[in-house]
Amino acid sequence: MPAVSICTDAFIVPAKAMANVYGFPGYEFATMPHPLASLDQSEIQASARTLLPALIRILGVES
Amino acid sequence: MEQVHSNDASLADPAAIRQAMEYYAERGWTDGLPVVPVTDSYLAEFLAQTCKQPSDVVFAMPHLNRNLTVRLAAINAAMAGCRPDYFPVILAAWQSLAEEGYATRGIWQSTTGTAPLLLVNGPVRSGIGMNSAGNVFGSGFRANATIGRTIRLTAINAFGLRPHQLDQATQGTPAKYTACIAENEEDSPWDPLHVQFGLAASDSAVTAMIIRSCIHMEARHTTVPEQLGLDLAGTIARTGALVHKTISALVVLSPEHARIFARAGWSKPDLSQFIYDRATCTRAQLAAVGKDAISRQTRWRLPADHPDAIADDALPESGAGTVRVLNSPEAVLVAVAGANNAGVSAVVETFGPRGGPPAVVRIADGTSSDVRS
Repeated sequence: MPAVSICTDAFIVPAKAMANVYGFPGYEFATMPHPLASLDQSEIQASARTLLPALIRILGVES
Repeated sequence: MEQVHSNDASLADPAAIRQAMEYYAERGWTDGLPVVPVTDSYLAEFLAQTCKQPSDVVFAMPHLNRNLTVRLAAINAAMAGCRPDYFPVILAAWQSLAEEGYATRGIWQSTTGTAPLLLVNGPVRSGIGMNSAGNVFGSGFRANATIGRTIRLTAINAFGLRPHQLDQATQGTPAKYTACIAENEEDSPWDPLHVQFGLAASDSAVTAMIIRSCIHMEARHTTVPEQLGLDLAGTIARTGALVHKTISALVVLSPEHARIFARAGWSKPDLSQFIYDRATCTRAQLAAVGKDAISRQTRWRLPADHPDAIADDALPESGAGTVRVLNSPEAVLVAVAGANNAGVSAVVETFGPRGGPPAVVRIADGTSSDVRS
């Protein structure tokens, strides 16, 4: 199943390191501002709306 | 790492030794402190301490596609400053960590910032000069310092768990440099930990635990076991430790404190039961810090008004007003270590809820396979 990984910008370095471990140094993932855990529901929804174009682009969805 | 074995002859040249040490540092094969250069002949002395083959895997991290072989474990033990005769302790420690489980599942990459703690029991303590008495958590003893150091150094070199890379710890803990203690069996009024969990007193054993903190608990004024027990329970039940629904602990009693309990007829399970019953938080305490409910998804603590919140388990007789922070008496292990000179003990905060038996692994003598207790 197609999937896109999302991480906060605090984890970009370890995310790239994990991609290297698995032999996919160019693996593309979406990022959002840190922190995530303390956001309320409306802030989460706003982040999701902001992220959506990047998710669609990485998935390769044709318009 | 395979290419860096310098010739034994060069060890006679201090400049060459320094050059080798700098080479290791430049390659990042270090925890930040100097490491010992390893030659083939020195490595052979470590490998001679075990009947395992150099290629045998002693620890695996499947999510990283990386394995630790006996050979890599030995190289890192030597680099950390161990003597060759420490190596059976190291191999038992890796087996214990594998059975303990959290490191295998990636906890050493977590923001929580945990470290391995090794508790050593049995005759090996005196055999290799381990400290179980004064300053037991501190510095000054080669066996404690280098055996503990080996685990983290190996995590860095063999599994790539370097800070700012695959190790994402927000702050970490000083215990990440080294954390290895021996139980003070000679000054303990009780059976040592490895005997409590089924081994013979003549066996030597390592018990590994993943820890976050080591909290000092001082009480010199009392000989009343209930007062001491409540002090320990209160130290354990701090809200800051409550990431998950419940927590767990290794209580490391000084001999003086242990004897107060023993004189009153308390066994180690008695003390664990007492602490389990008294290590509680009130609903008001939890609500004040926003930890009065559990996440339906992650089982982490969060505020009761969070959309993912479900109720935690309160003591029925308290009208939901009091919450245990431990899941069972077995979530509290008890050991004795330190000098018999003061009422100073420690609560080691072990990671996870626990409750089952600890991963006590017998140390092989080099001619037989490692044996689980």
